[in-house]
Amino acid sequence: MNLSLADSGRRPALSADVATLAYRVLAVLLLCAVLALASEAFFTAANLLNVLRQASLVFLIASGLTLVILTAGVDLSVGANVALSACLAATAIKATGSVLLGVAIGFGCGAGIGLCNGLMVTWLRIPPFIATYGMLWVLNGITYWYMAGDTIHGFPPGLRALGSGHLFGVPVPIYLMLAFLAAGTLFTRYTTYGQEIYAIGANMEAARLSGTPVRARLNLVYVLSGAMAGLAAIVYLARLNSAEADIGESLTLPPIAAALIGGTSLFGGVGTLTGTLVGSIILTLVLNGMNLLAVNANWQPLVTGVIVLIAVWVDIVTRQRAEARA
Amino acid sequence: MAESAILRERSHWAAHFAAIPGVGYILAAMLAGFSLVSPGFGTWANFSNIGVQSSILLLLALPMTFIIMSEGLDLSIGAVLGLCGVVLAMVLVDGRGVGLGLAAALAVGLAFGMVNGALVVGAHIPPFVATLGTLGVAQGLALVITDGRSVVGIGDALPALYASTWLGVPFSIVVAAAAYFVFHFLLYHTRFGAYVFALGGNRDALVLAGVRVNAVHVAVYALGGLMAGVGALLLTGRMNAGHPIAAIGMEFDAIAAVIVGGTSFERGNGWLPGTLLGALTVGVLRNGLNVLAVPSSLQVASIGVLVIVALLVDSMRGRS
Amino acid sequence: MKCGGLDVIALAAVALGMGTAPAWGDGEKIALFTKNQTNPYFQSVRVAAENAAKQMNATVVNYIPTKPDSIPEQMSQIEDAITKHPDAIVFIPVDFKAMVPGVQKMNAAGIPVINITDRVGGGEVVSYVGSDDYNLGLSTARYLLKRMNGEGNVIILEGVRGAITNVERMKGFNKALTEFPKVKLLASQPANYQRLQALQVTENLLQSYPKIDGILAANDAMGMGAIEALEGANRKALVVSINATKEGVEAVKAGKLLATGDYNGYLQGCIGTMAAIRYLRKLPVPKEVVFPATVIDSTNYQGHDMADAQRTCPKWEDVVKR
Repeated sequence: MNLSLADSGRRPALSADVATLAYRVLAVLLLCAVLALASEAFFTAANLLNVLRQASLVFLIASGLTLVILTAGVDLSVGANVALSACLAATAIKATGSVLLGVAIGFGCGAGIGLCNGLMVTWLRIPPFIATYGMLWVLNGITYWYMAGDTIHGFPPGLRALGSGHLFGVPVPIYLMLAFLAAGTLFTRYTTYGQEIYAIGANMEAARLSGTPVRARLNLVYVLSGAMAGLAAIVYLARLNSAEADIGESLTLPPIAAALIGGTSLFGGVGTLTGTLVGSIILTLVLNGMNLLAVNANWQPLVTGVIVLIAVWVDIVTRQRAEARA
Repeated sequence: MAESAILRERSHWAAHFAAIPGVGYILAAMLAGFSLVSPGFGTWANFSNIGVQSSILLLLALPMTFIIMSEGLDLSIGAVLGLCGVVLAMVLVDGRGVGLGLAAALAVGLAFGMVNGALVVGAHIPPFVATLGTLGVAQGLALVITDGRSVVGIGDALPALYASTWLGVPFSIVVAAAAYFVFHFLLYHTRFGAYVFALGGNRDALVLAGVRVNAVHVAVYALGGLMAGVGALLLTGRMNAGHPIAAIGMEFDAIAAVIVGGTSFERGNGWLPGTLLGALTVGVLRNGLNVLAVPSSLQVASIGVLVIVALLVDSMRGRS
Repeated sequence: MKCGGLDVIALAAVALGMGTAPAWGDGEKIALFTKNQTNPYFQSVRVAAENAAKQMNATVVNYIPTKPDSIPEQMSQIEDAITKHPDAIVFIPVDFKAMVPGVQKMNAAGIPVINITDRVGGGEVVSYVGSDDYNLGLSTARYLLKRMNGEGNVIILEGVRGAITNVERMKGFNKALTEFPKVKLLASQPANYQRLQALQVTENLLQSYPKIDGILAANDAMGMGAIEALEGANRKALVVSINATKEGVEAVKAGKLLATGDYNGYLQGCIGTMAAIRYLRKLPVPKEVVFPATVIDSTNYQGHDMADAQRTCPKWEDVVKR
């Protein structure tokens, strides 16, 4: 793997991160300006909160995924993870009426799946792409069998509050998003765990040689990715008020796209959670805008694809400029 | 002088047979197991089916091997196949011949392949992202020009070609086999092939030897697009229609077939016969499970287990 | 159906001849093709087919693509199924146009085909059993528009663009709209028959349009998604959908969904399988069995809210009046 800007063992300088973030925020503001001009329904508090709420669901999954990508890995099983965790949590809630139990089970199931992924990568030494891709199929198989074509619906109103409820006029998922953004940023920037994760991504051998417990940290990031998928499952459950086996179908690539648009590098060692948040918002803005403007849905994959390319290209160019200056 | 070193360094295709990868054992075990349990499995007709069913996957997995050997990835190949298929169908519906339709499909595929190459090599965009972007573009284009519907009325020429047999062998298998021989020759008996090997592990040597590295690198992606065009011929013939998103997801199957066959991301070494084994293994598994009427959810899980176990076997034998 | 004694003797003779122990599975082998494992609608079809086969002493083998709605996979499964020589095939095409070669393969193998649910665009079928998507769309939309007293704003949530069910239902919706000229169609957007997509599309449309009085959803899952969006935004509108899945009927019971068109997957599975077995037994089978378009609302949902596991197939003669 190529070495990133940093010395091995230290994560990239703050200013490079800030620069790429600044470009992204600029992109968001530009998109918003265009949409506001094109549609009068866009720039209302209700719609903006909608966009943030939709983005927060993607962000919850993408945040854990960012940690995995920071180590030069990938987790393709997050979508299927969300589906199975949601279905199990739904069963628990329906059976006992306790939302808390459902949250615990969803979270636990997600983390457990993450641990399996981690062990396959660290202990069985299966490449992350294959390990998580295989896990995706296995999880789908289990979910299809478990649900047997049925849906679980009809939950206590307390659950719905998590997904569709408001606190002081702001939807609850947005609070969750901000909370995990804060927690995640603290984790990656200000703890040794975080620094070690960046180091592993930048140069795994060097990290190992300098004493970092690489396996333990890798297991950790996969567990976190799984746990966040489990949490997202609960929020999806709360929003949809039902559990189906195919919830995860469309959740495999968008979180990865969000992290990548946000500046996380697949080679590892580069990326921030704030960037992932902005990436999630950009993705959601595009879809929201297309709905508001009644653009033919057939265009959505095309527009999304182009946005991904532009975002990453801008990122690369700014990084090259930063390197040239350094 | 450096160049001859590169040529020498490439591993011989027969070398790996000495240590058969996990997939070889798994394939053998499945063939034996399925034949024992189900009489309908071990017949020529069924093997012919497996060949036909695996042919499009092989067409995609062959260039994917080169791409992965270059430490890259092509996520767009399924979407491009769909787009090429739709273009082919539209040309046929317009009353033109299969030759023109194929040319159009190949042109579209090649164009996307070149774009992928340009993004990866020229703009230095990581392959995962670049091809994720072109996946969206290809899928979007296909959906827009068809409004999400199948394109039918392609006439009789292509279906007849698809159904034709050559010395008793179905057309799909002939095309796939021909493609395999071409890629095998390219990789193991041409200078280009040696460069592809070096792209993955030893790029600097190529640069030092004065080889036009970027051209080789772009060519690897261009081959992917081209093969998507060839695959479109088979898929459209099979469905007697062009469908914009029928092939979405095949890219992951192709990547899995390549990796299960022994090529790895990290070290850029590759084994083309392994890709053939990998594609056949996937085809045999799916066919066997259907013939055995295994419940569908178990089929889904088995595919995941296959992929993991294949790599696990290799990992335990120290190949990873 | 048949006289019991002869039945047993025939079965025993066959069983002895094959050297295996007689079991109810020694009857006809029917291969059933459905689109995916996740949509409850197809589960209804499968449960019903199992039920009908059991009643008539036959067996059903299921073929479902591992990738939902995958055309190449269904094509491969057809080839694999043919090598096992089922006596008949009950077939729901993943794509009504692209699967025509699949039906032709079945024809070439000499296996009789009963086409249910989505009318396939070619090939020879013994019979088509299904509901009338166009009339379902028409009746359900008329129900909503009448309840709106013929005025107000509506939005349409479309299903998968390329699916024949969607094409026909949209035709029905739009025809109904022409009958109520004072009703304004604000937007018609696809949500691909998916709940989450319908939720987000509806949410976004609620922002664009401050006054939405009615929502026409092409299937129950999207109708549920729309209802969630409305409740989340604290807005009210009348929602109708089509399929009459258990969840949809419960929503009608609870007063959240105004009405749902009865697509009746269970009945299609029953009658389709019965038709296949009857054909094999040389009993008369009509070329087409199309169920009348019924709209389930708060007055007539009884009997439709049972779990599939508790239902049994009706008698052929009660349903097919010919």
